[in-house]
Amino acid sequence: MVRSYLHSLYADQQSKYARLLIVFYATKSYKIMFSNTDTNNKRTLSSSTIEGDRYEVKRHNGKKYPHLLNFYSVPPTEEITIDEFESFAFDRLQVLKTLEGAILRNKSEEEVKKYLEETSNKWLPLHSNESGKVYPLQEERRKDHISHFILRLAYSRTEDLRNWFLKYECALFKLRFLRENPVEKLGFLNDENMRWKSLNQAEKKLLNEKLTKDELNTCSIFVTTDGELCDLFEIDFEKVPDLVARRVVYLREGKAYVPVTQQLSLVMYEFRQRLTKALELASKSFITLRNERIMPMLDEIIKQYDGRTQTVNYSIISNPIADNVHQLVDHFPLCMQHLYQNLCENHHLKHYARIQFNLFLKGIGLTVEESLAFWKKSFSEIDESKFQRDYAYNIRHNYGVEGKRQDYKPLNCMSLITKHRPNSGEIHGCPFREFSQPNLRTKLVQMGVRNEEHIREILNLAEEEHYQVACTKYFEITKGLLDKNNDNIIETIEHPNEYLNASVLLEKNRMKMNNKDK
Amino acid sequence: MLTIKEESRRESHMDIDEPEVHGNSDVDMIIEPLSNKEDDEERNFWKNNANAKPDKFEIEEGSMELLRVFYKRFFPYKTYCYWLNYSIDPMNKSFQNREFNFVKPGDDEIYMRYLSFDTIEEFKNEVLRVCPKKIDIGAVFTAKPKEKKSLKLSALKPVEKELIFDIDMNDYDEFRTCCSGATICEKCWQLITVAIKILDAALKGDFGFKHLLWVYSGRRGVHCWVCDERARKLNDDERKSIASYLGVIKGGAQQNKKVHLYKNSFHPSLTRAYKIIEEYFERVILEDQEVLKDEREWTKVLEFIPDEAVRRRLNDDWRENSSRHSIEKWDNLVEELESSVKLAKNPKKAESLRFCKIEIMMQYLYPRLDEAVSTKMIHLLKSPFCVHPSTGRVCVPIIPEECENFNPMIVPTISSLYNEINDYDRSHVKNDGGRSLHDYEKTSLSPYIKYFDKFVQNILKETLAKNKAVMQMSMEF
Repeated sequence: MVRSYLHSLYADQQSKYARLLIVFYATKSYKIMFSNTDTNNKRTLSSSTIEGDRYEVKRHNGKKYPHLLNFYSVPPTEEITIDEFESFAFDRLQVLKTLEGAILRNKSEEEVKKYLEETSNKWLPLHSNESGKVYPLQEERRKDHISHFILRLAYSRTEDLRNWFLKYECALFKLRFLRENPVEKLGFLNDENMRWKSLNQAEKKLLNEKLTKDELNTCSIFVTTDGELCDLFEIDFEKVPDLVARRVVYLREGKAYVPVTQQLSLVMYEFRQRLTKALELASKSFITLRNERIMPMLDEIIKQYDGRTQTVNYSIISNPIADNVHQLVDHFPLCMQHLYQNLCENHHLKHYARIQFNLFLKGIGLTVEESLAFWKKSFSEIDESKFQRDYAYNIRHNYGVEGKRQDYKPLNCMSLITKHRPNSGEIHGCPFREFSQPNLRTKLVQMGVRNEEHIREILNLAEEEHYQVACTKYFEITKGLLDKNNDNIIETIEHPNEYLNASVLLEKNRMKMNNKDK
Repeated sequence: MLTIKEESRRESHMDIDEPEVHGNSDVDMIIEPLSNKEDDEERNFWKNNANAKPDKFEIEEGSMELLRVFYKRFFPYKTYCYWLNYSIDPMNKSFQNREFNFVKPGDDEIYMRYLSFDTIEEFKNEVLRVCPKKIDIGAVFTAKPKEKKSLKLSALKPVEKELIFDIDMNDYDEFRTCCSGATICEKCWQLITVAIKILDAALKGDFGFKHLLWVYSGRRGVHCWVCDERARKLNDDERKSIASYLGVIKGGAQQNKKVHLYKNSFHPSLTRAYKIIEEYFERVILEDQEVLKDEREWTKVLEFIPDEAVRRRLNDDWRENSSRHSIEKWDNLVEELESSVKLAKNPKKAESLRFCKIEIMMQYLYPRLDEAVSTKMIHLLKSPFCVHPSTGRVCVPIIPEECENFNPMIVPTISSLYNEINDYDRSHVKNDGGRSLHDYEKTSLSPYIKYFDKFVQNILKETLAKNKAVMQMSMEF
């Protein structure tokens, strides 16, 4: 039997560098070790196998996994079979991918919870201590623990993969934390040494006198019936970036005053920080990982990463050139139509609008030369030398032929919606999000949506923040897919180039049908 | 004619052999096109002069000469370098690993990137040699940026950078009635003054920062350099959270109402800002800008009100009395809002009407920040004490406590300084006695440099005190 040993050596947690080493074992078995190396004295702690409790996961009341929640700070230290290695990894991926799907589709938190519950039960069940009699808790938690570490390794390879893994592991942990009961949470946090400085009575009183009722309220500080403030932690503002960003916490002189109820933010900060660091360490160790048995498995695991947002070849149009762009305008999604119209009127686009549109052109399949030709023609009021100086570099940069030579991908809807929101005077981004309701209405009418019911439907979707659904609806309405009772139901638009492709294909199919009719 | 490919090919972009440890796409998109922030309507001083007259060569040479004089006689090299060194000890990594960026003189915007200097002398000599028409300051890196070519990409990572803010008058153009584009006057400069007051109070009061250097950008904006050690060490995510905390105005050209706070208006940071805004709103917005003057202007304001009936009533009323002053019209608006809150049956609507007044006032006077500048450690920003290429004005510090008295129109320019120093030298030829003055002391640049000296001294003192404390700590052990 081929056996693989997932064996780890847990040394000094303070050490800054970790390496992952593979030791070739006999003929058909391998040993992976998560190990820490002290780079100061170049002492490698890996070549010997250390057994025993000292390097085991901390035991608690005789149990290896006392809590459902896990910060994954200690790697697993046991041997597992290759079958388990694979199945654990894929099962956890199922859960993360379900989460991704739900989050990308802008589902409400309740719905996300429901999805998670379903897939978790199927692939990676994890129960709280209170149901210990019914379920094999230690078994479940072991799988959770090991599967996390396998994916951490597999997904540490590139920045994109790391970000993806980080994002959905955080989402998973957060949902689990929310679901767990308060007593268990407290026990877990105590074991993890997560304690913060609390305000004493006198400090609380001072704060109460300083702030008005409304102010306390917006800072999520609640007043008990006796007129006293709820318990508060005093924390450096750097540790609660999301509370600071949303302006829901009181700040004074660099300290944030966080109510006990906002504990989640503190815990999430800690989780994210630790995992970010761990992923960076893992990525450094990847270089040393050359193994014919493990590598193919890790490759297979990575392939499961959502291909749609990453590796699609965007264009279905062959050899488009600068002069054809205007022929395609009817196939553009609203965001690109808007940019294109502005470009035609003003012969100019600002920085982020240029990036958005240029990468879209790249997605259509324009070569860098064609793209340069397009922009030069469009920026008709700018003389050659200024164009070369101020714009050509960036256009070429988007194509990865300047600077760092990174091959940028056309921006998908999520980045258009969430990143680099436009400031005053800027017109880029997703129109369903960035237009005020009256402006969106005008735009829709201008684009030929005349049916009041349709307009209302799109406006409502936009108002409820279902921007991509609004865009999909816009597609269906403008392409006449709603009226004919046909079953050409399209998936939610997730990428402007996807919109274009869908539109082009639709037209092509219709032409085919017409030809047949004749 | 367009044809369609039948297959859509799937391919993997993953690079298996080289794990990507450096940078991410977003970061790169911000830094690489660094000439972009001001590219859009950048006109340059030298070029304008050159086009104005046929004797192009002389004038261009002339302003170059002025710039050379400025760098030779006025630029405060020593204080400047010690500022970036953050210590009175010999130049350390903080200075030596700092990225600088020069723009070469002349019509073409030629950038010299990834410069760094080991000593004050080296910096000074290079400035004098190149005579840059613009100097940008970037981050402190893990290694010397000038050695970039011989380093691995991953060896050059940004580690420290002042937290910076950029307020540009441009962003107020949607309602500014006195000027537009690159022009400014004393009226609209008030907008910047209010912005400085609000931001200064928030950075000090909320975040506990002490060393804030406010600098006039030379044309129509200001920059703020937060130099506290804690600020310099912030990572990009932390910078992002601060920018988001301070960012109230949101939305692009297609969004009229850019402030949606509702109950968050009561956040202590915003109630403090609101108090400052209340002081200025009537004078700056209603009197100077007259935003309710005629129908074209007041329509923009009415669009912020989420109730059709209120909008109509006010519009009808003002049409009949269009000569009424903006202040009076504003009173009408406030009254209408207050009474409509009571009448509103839908609680959500009542809520939005209740906060409408605050939100409108915030939209006019709360600082409009360029977030991208503040959120990336590697973002380059024009250095203090360089010269704005299109106005010739020196980028001098502004004392936040006295920002109301700051007048951008009388800031020294390279040509005014040239005249001042010549006048001085002519009238003081024979005066040999007493201490010899620095050149800047003979001119109107003096108070700005003195303020900068003091600012840097305060920072250096703090470093000294900290090192002393560390020393004592280690002595005790």
